Amino acid sequence: MNLARALRLVSTGPERQALKAGEVDAVIDSASGNVFLLSQAKRALSSAGGEAANGLLAALPRQTYLRLLTEMELVPLTRGQVLYQPGERIQHVYFPNDAVVSLLAVLELKALEVCLVGREGMVGIPLVLGAERASARAMVQGTGTALRMKAASFRDELERCVPLQRELQRYAHVKLLQARQAAGCSRFHRVEERLAYWLLMAHDRTTASGLQLTHELLADMLGVRRVGVTNAAGELQRRGLIEYHRGDIRVRDRKGLEAAACSCYRTVKTLTG
Amino acid sequence: MGARQSMRLRLYVADGAPNSVLAVANLAAICKAHLRYLFKLEIIDVLKFPLRALADGVLVTPHLAKLSPAPAAKIVGNLNDTASVLHALGIKP
Repeated sequence: MNLARALRLVSTGPERQALKAGEVDAVIDSASGNVFLLSQAKRALSSAGGEAANGLLAALPRQTYLRLLTEMELVPLTRGQVLYQPGERIQHVYFPNDAVVSLLAVLELKALEVCLVGREGMVGIPLVLGAERASARAMVQGTGTALRMKAASFRDELERCVPLQRELQRYAHVKLLQARQAAGCSRFHRVEERLAYWLLMAHDRTTASGLQLTHELLADMLGVRRVGVTNAAGELQRRGLIEYHRGDIRVRDRKGLEAAACSCYRTVKTLTG
Repeated sequence: MGARQSMRLRLYVADGAPNSVLAVANLAAICKAHLRYLFKLEIIDVLKFPLRALADGVLVTPHLAKLSPAPAAKIVGNLNDTASVLHALGIKP
């Protein structure tokens, strides 16, 4: 249901105010008793089936999830926002709902992307492994929301909550595998294959089909020059796999893109099962 | 000072939707900080129990109802504004 229709059902009072402020998820028709979800809430739920939108949280027992929720706050993350710099003490961990965060290894003035974190993961893994400081730059790549928890509360929960420990150790292991794969990938695979791989990883982590990415950003992500990205993106577009317009990339042919990506995509998928 | 009466609250949500998630988290934080254990909270998912919402005259979610002690109050929205929630519930910060 769109906002205009919802506003027709709710004509006065604090309900209308909240609706206009974007603070409402559902509207109940007082004549029929039907519940209408607003479009935005529907999108969030369709990926979550009414459970936690974040995969790690959704895998926890319901009671554990609900308890953790009391320690968390939902925060908007906007593209370009930096959550941590390397060496900084970690203040919060983030469980993205629909936001996408990239972790970058910073070497002198250059930054190279190590991995992407979306609704399948968590930002703040050093805390799981007993470290207190960030080892990479965490920068928001796709605007959206995340559930955020204070580092101190997170450490307390991790100590007493076995399901959370188990889930996060498994996730940390997956991240290590991915980093190892990425090291080989950047050395041995062609830019076009790596771009396809990166786009698939990004596509897996967002609910929307469009991604806002500039050539500069992609060049930084892949550690290549801009012209390399232009050529690779042009080639993928020519083959009808993606559509690229002013920094807005849409995946047109997902299967085709998988075939065009380097073997890393399949390897990581298989390893992480 | 006499024993404080426990506050009865009912929160209507669309379970899993962003504003509802936010409302649950915000309310939990407010209860923890300001009410300690002196509250009873019932959370109703209108997606599962739409008739409860209809019977109680709830038009949108999230919707927080303070049932007792009097005066009754309702607050609509994601409860982000702690000061106005406290004010509506009659709690001195």
